[in-house]
Amino acid sequence: MNFLAPLLMAIPSPVHVVLVVTLLSTLAPTSANVEGDALYALRRAVKDPENVLESWDPTLVDPCTWFHVTCDGDNRVTRLDLGNAKLSGSLVPELGKLERLQYLELYMNNLVGSIPEEVGGLKSLVSLDLYHNNLTGSIPASLSKLPNLKFLRLNSNRLSGRIPRQLTKLGNLKILDVSNNDLCGTIPTSGSFAKLSEESFMNNSRLEGPELMGFVRYDTGGCK
Amino acid sequence: MLRKFEQSRLFEGRLVELLLAVATVLLVSDSEGLNSEGQYLMEIKNGLQDEFNFLGNWKSTDQTPCGWIGVNCTSDHDPFVWSLDLNSMNLSGILSPSIGGLIHLTFLDLSYNEFKGDIPKEIGNCSLLTILYLRANQFSGPIPEELGNLSSLEEFVAYTNDLTGTLPRSIGNLQKLRIFRVGENAMSGNIPAEICRCQSLQFLGLAHNRIGGEIPEEIGMLGNLTALWIWENQLSGFIPKELGNCSNLESLDLGGNALTGPIPVEIGDLKFLRTLYLCANELNGSIPREIGNLSLATEIDFSENYLTGEIPTEFSKFLRVLYLYTNELNGSIPREIGNLSLATEIDFSENYLTGEIPTEFSKIKGLYLLNLFHNQLTGVIPNELSSLRNLTMLDLATNYLTGPIPYGFQYLTEMHQLLLFDNSLSGTIPQQLGVYSPFMEVDFTNNHLTGKIPPFLCRHANLVFLSLGANKLHGNIPNGIKNCERLKRFNLNGNRLSGTLPSEVGNLVNLYSIRLDDNNFTGSIPPEIGNCRELQRLQIAGNHFTSKLPKEIGKLSQLMLLNVSSNLLTGQIPSEIVNCKMLERLDLSHNSFVDSLPNELGTLSQLELLTLSDNKFSGNIPASLGSLSRLIELQMGGNVFSGEIPPELGFLSSLQIAMNLSFNNLTGSIPSELGKLALLEVLILNNNHLSGKIPTTFEGLLSLVELNFSYNNLTGPLPAIPLFKKMNSCSFIGNPSYKATLIIVPLKTIIKLISTIIEPTWTIWVYTPLTNMAIRIISVGHEYVEPMELIFPRHAAVELRRAPNIGSEMKFPGALIGNNLISEIVVFRFAMYRKVRAFGYIVSDLDMDFVLKKTCVTPCQ
Repeated sequence: MNFLAPLLMAIPSPVHVVLVVTLLSTLAPTSANVEGDALYALRRAVKDPENVLESWDPTLVDPCTWFHVTCDGDNRVTRLDLGNAKLSGSLVPELGKLERLQYLELYMNNLVGSIPEEVGGLKSLVSLDLYHNNLTGSIPASLSKLPNLKFLRLNSNRLSGRIPRQLTKLGNLKILDVSNNDLCGTIPTSGSFAKLSEESFMNNSRLEGPELMGFVRYDTGGCK
Repeated sequence: MLRKFEQSRLFEGRLVELLLAVATVLLVSDSEGLNSEGQYLMEIKNGLQDEFNFLGNWKSTDQTPCGWIGVNCTSDHDPFVWSLDLNSMNLSGILSPSIGGLIHLTFLDLSYNEFKGDIPKEIGNCSLLTILYLRANQFSGPIPEELGNLSSLEEFVAYTNDLTGTLPRSIGNLQKLRIFRVGENAMSGNIPAEICRCQSLQFLGLAHNRIGGEIPEEIGMLGNLTALWIWENQLSGFIPKELGNCSNLESLDLGGNALTGPIPVEIGDLKFLRTLYLCANELNGSIPREIGNLSLATEIDFSENYLTGEIPTEFSKFLRVLYLYTNELNGSIPREIGNLSLATEIDFSENYLTGEIPTEFSKIKGLYLLNLFHNQLTGVIPNELSSLRNLTMLDLATNYLTGPIPYGFQYLTEMHQLLLFDNSLSGTIPQQLGVYSPFMEVDFTNNHLTGKIPPFLCRHANLVFLSLGANKLHGNIPNGIKNCERLKRFNLNGNRLSGTLPSEVGNLVNLYSIRLDDNNFTGSIPPEIGNCRELQRLQIAGNHFTSKLPKEIGKLSQLMLLNVSSNLLTGQIPSEIVNCKMLERLDLSHNSFVDSLPNELGTLSQLELLTLSDNKFSGNIPASLGSLSRLIELQMGGNVFSGEIPPELGFLSSLQIAMNLSFNNLTGSIPSELGKLALLEVLILNNNHLSGKIPTTFEGLLSLVELNFSYNNLTGPLPAIPLFKKMNSCSFIGNPSYKATLIIVPLKTIIKLISTIIEPTWTIWVYTPLTNMAIRIISVGHEYVEPMELIFPRHAAVELRRAPNIGSEMKFPGALIGNNLISEIVVFRFAMYRKVRAFGYIVSDLDMDFVLKKTCVTPCQ
């Protein structure tokens, strides 16, 4: 409704309201296009100086003809390729609705704000590449619900807080890179973290090193 | 009580200040001629830019301002300014606090200018104001609390500004207020319950702000309210049932909030209600039957909620608009729908409606919009709909409709939009379709339609979108297509269409998408396609197009997607293609293109997918491809590219999906730069003539999950890097240094073999068919090691190979063994060359394909 608001305000007569609403029904995105709507929410939340999202037309039945979007045979979104696209703005929780998304490539942009908890709903996700942005907040523990996650690259942001210990459950994790952030606390060492090298965690000045098992408690204070 | 007292004291204090100020000005004004109100107005003027000199006759040399544009005075002997009307004068700037000096003002209209900054709190001194219009300016900041001092105020209209802050509580003092409109601002906070003391209020407009909280139940005290517009805010909570007490309400719009709960049945008490908008909230429950009591209602919009249950059978017979789309309604569409004889728009799309489309729709003679898409409707499209002469938009897409497109549709003279895609419609498309209908959009995609494309779809030259894909249509593209000058989208993919792409396509200069893929089209691609300057997508894959790709393709400067794969195209790629600077996806695969690639291909800096596989491209891979910094997939396999792999390909920093250079004539060593492709997941280099070692930089291929180096001339040991840990053995076979021959033998043969070999000339690798990995070293050097820890499978493929340096010991990097990289390797030496030859003889008897199949879980290419 927002984009028609000026029109509506300028013509207060209820008769005209009908006209406006009529127009709306043909323009408004269809909500059965859940994945298109989710992506469109992203489009609205970011600035796109190079118009890379120009083809993202919410009135289409699905987003499969949009550029930088790839679908499978059932017209469900599997890839979002927007690395190095000069986008600024924030991620949106609606992204969590892309149930078959495997590749979320938003690296090297200027995204701010936090990583939405809802990203943990992307059950098919193989690769989450958000490196080289300006993201803040903590790494959502919900990412541990992504059984297929192989590549988790969050390096070079301004992420803070602890590395969620639940991430050690990610059995398929091949690469984890959280270097160059502002993380704190200790580095989990169990599960899929056992094989990770120090490089994955470099340049987090407040990180205390690998967690000590045994008598020393994992949860030492002063980390937020 | 105390607060009130303080307020009045404050007011008195200000009054004294003001009187002093007025006295001062009066003294000054005597000496200059212009009276005090004139001076206040001059101060207002001085704060403004007056680009068109509307205030040209506002002169300080006048005695009074009464002759000035926009100023009206009383006709008394000693006139006062009672009205100031500066509506639409292109004035910009700040409204001076001097406005507070015009204490006799009853009418102030500053609408449609560019006033900025705060509404001065001094406006509260204009205590006689009855009308205050500030709409369509750029006033910012909050509405001053002093507004509450204007006890005569009847109309306050300030919509379309940049006001912030909360609604002033003092508004409750305005007992005469009839109209309060502040829509389209950026106001926040809640709706103050005090507003409900405005007993005269008729029109409350708060739409398009950021007002949150709940609608106060006191709203029900506003018995004179006729219009309540709060759409596009952040209201939450239930719709208060007390709204049912606003018995004069004619227009209620709460759309675009976050209201929850059911639609209160009390809404049905609003006997005078004409328009009711509750769309785009989070309402649930079923639509109350009492809505049928709204006997004067002309528009009802409950769309985009979570409403459940069935569509009620009774609505006002005056209803013109009924929007229930995007809810969770179920059941069938009631036959009583036909009673809405005045309806013009009915939209039930995006629900769970079942059953058939009632023929009673045909009784609604004025119906021009009927949207039922995305439900679960079955049966046929009723022929009776053909009698709806005014039908302009019909969208029945995404249902389970069967049967033909009604024959009568071809006589509908108003039909602009006919969307029937994603159903199971069959039969031929009525061939006269378009003769009488001025179509703008026709979409029958994904049905079972047969026959030919109707020849007159474009007769009225209005057609913008035409999609007939995924049907069983045959025949040619009709000639009439040349009339489609407005056509933007032209999708015929996935049919059985034949003939050529007519050269008239060049007349369709507005086209942005052509999809002809997966048909039986023949002939060449007409050069006239270059006239379609707006074209963004050209998809003609999977046809029998012949001849060259016309060089005119280079004129398509907007082209983002070009897919001509799986045709019979020949010749060189025209070098003009590098003018298509917007190209993001380029697929030329499965044709017979020849010769080398244009060197400038690397200047297509937007390319993300480049697919050139299975052609006859030759020459070197242009080094310039390394500048495609956005490329995520590179497919060049199955050509005759020669020369070395350019090291520049290592700069493809976005490359992620795959790099496939297999089945070419590439020579030289694998450039170490490829090790920089940190995102790359699939690297396919098999069946070339690559030589040398696999670079140790491949340690940098952090993301690699699939790799194939087989059938090259690679030598040397595998680098000691973890990525090879889980590699399919197929990835390495076929490189002579790694292999002489490959056979399947029972395990006992291997053991026997081991026991007979003693001289350091040959090595044997054993691959297990289960894991596709070479098995553990059993023997190194002269000494035979009992394979104690091994659990051998019943069969294993044995690969014999010559050690790189005959006579010296084959060296396996320690890290490689320790990491179980090739976790199970048999290394031993043959005693006599003769025996090896004998063994080799056995080997050559075996069918190699069989061996490969047995060896690999996924067969090697």
